[in-house]
Amino acid sequence: MALVSQRVKTALGNQQVLLLIVLGLMILGFSLKSPDFFARPVFANILSDWYPLILIAIGETFVIISGGIDLSVGATVGISGVVSAIAMEHLTTNHYSANETLFIGFLVAIGVGLVVGILNTLMITKAGVVPFIATLVTLGAGEGLSIVFTGGAPIGGGPSNAISLSVANIFNLFSRPGLMIIALVVILGLYLHKTRFGRYTFAIGSNPFAARAAGINVNRHLAKVYILSAVLSSLAGYYFYLRLSVGAPTTGNGAELQAIAAVVIGGVALSGGQGNFLGTVLGASIISVVASGLLFINVPANWKQVVVAGLIFVAVFLQELRTRVRK
Amino acid sequence: MATPLYEVRNVSKHYGSVVALDDVSLAIAPGEVLGLVGDNGAGKSTLVKVLSGAHQPTHGQIFLEGEEKSWNSPHDALVFGVETLYQDSGLAPHLSVSANVFLGREEYVKGIFGKLGFLAQKKMDLDAHENLERVGIAVPQSNRSISQLSGGQRQAVAIGRAVSWASKVIILDEPTNHLGARQAGEVLAIIRRAKAQGLGVIFISHTLPHVLEVTDRIVVLRLGKIVADAPTSTFDAEKLLGTITGLIDSK
Repeated sequence: MALVSQRVKTALGNQQVLLLIVLGLMILGFSLKSPDFFARPVFANILSDWYPLILIAIGETFVIISGGIDLSVGATVGISGVVSAIAMEHLTTNHYSANETLFIGFLVAIGVGLVVGILNTLMITKAGVVPFIATLVTLGAGEGLSIVFTGGAPIGGGPSNAISLSVANIFNLFSRPGLMIIALVVILGLYLHKTRFGRYTFAIGSNPFAARAAGINVNRHLAKVYILSAVLSSLAGYYFYLRLSVGAPTTGNGAELQAIAAVVIGGVALSGGQGNFLGTVLGASIISVVASGLLFINVPANWKQVVVAGLIFVAVFLQELRTRVRK
Repeated sequence: MATPLYEVRNVSKHYGSVVALDDVSLAIAPGEVLGLVGDNGAGKSTLVKVLSGAHQPTHGQIFLEGEEKSWNSPHDALVFGVETLYQDSGLAPHLSVSANVFLGREEYVKGIFGKLGFLAQKKMDLDAHENLERVGIAVPQSNRSISQLSGGQRQAVAIGRAVSWASKVIILDEPTNHLGARQAGEVLAIIRRAKAQGLGVIFISHTLPHVLEVTDRIVVLRLGKIVADAPTSTFDAEKLLGTITGLIDSK
């Protein structure tokens, strides 16, 4: 009996278990309050919010564990979607097939992500700008250029079948791009916790001097981390294009805060060196469920931010409490 | 004299107009413990940085087993078996004991997953424990994170890691700092064991009784120059202190 209660205590001391319980209770609560909530189309919709969020939150997880921060993820979502949409509009006007257009649009989006990631990297590792400022620069430049390129209006005119790709036609729950994103999430989770790449990410965030002394090329590793984050954001930008059939300059606005919220709720320490991939996955899931759930219980959508803010506070408070108990 | 294990010849290091090291030469034999002492600002840290590969000397040469070397980074040096334990930068606190022991030298699972960078975690856990035990350190569990260990245990892991990887020379910069008497005694025991294995040990310390206790030879630096290089038996505490401060001129 004592052993059981000890186990329960250890489990409750584990952020991921707590988050799983919170997520379960939320789904239960929303379902009890509004029976319509517990339905496949609703979950398909929650998932379609979750896909882009988890992509940028994973990038942010790697970056924050490495001891940095990436504020440019939302702007990268916007500008990669916009540039890719402009390219696809152009290709469609020139009678390229829908598949060719979508494929080239995909490459263009990733290309934009690479450019942002490389710019961040150069500022951080070559110019010695702190990540907060470097990615604030690309955040501003990215959001500004998105408006400049589009005149502020969404860009459509791409292949007409784009939107059908993001329909949840697999068990009426998952879309095809969605399943690819889920596969990518699993792979990146393994990469963070099971490979040398992940190990070095933790090591650099924990103690960059020790990492350097151990022969790790810290700058080269950080370059990979920031480029990964930007490319994942550009994938999110492309996903939004598939979902909306337009590239809108404001699509990613504020996404960086949601990503950081997911990461922090998931228990990743902003000081670096600590964190758990599953935590981020659960953090992003909770945010996505809250967003849809509030609508079902007739709470105006804007309350979502307030609820997420509360969750961040509780998550950080619990973490603080646990470190205090340990000491 | 046989070829020394590790040697610097006529090394100088200038930082702008400041001369941190001025024509310094020293050599160490296998199985020898060399004490490096000097007052603050005497050039000890600079010499350690040159020996470990962190800084390149302005003039002078470095030889390992008679072969001239030019280190561009500490990593260059450790590839050739010259390990350095730095004063404070040693470990990544959030990582486990074994992750720290194997940091930069990770082992991979067999097959395609290993090629993709997947780590052989269980093997490293076991090996880390074995490596540390071999150099005389008993650490509770390989998978505990460093931040859960006491200060003495952390230092033991840091030294154990350096000693277990060093194949030729180990440079220990203030390894007994901040340690209690018993833990410091354990560190000195590790140094003796490293010596018995034939490693050259360069021991930098302010704690003169430790230097007198464990070293075979002592080199004293003052204002960037070597002012004494003699067997430890020729020093007592008073003479050593006098040489360091310059009250006794041994030359």
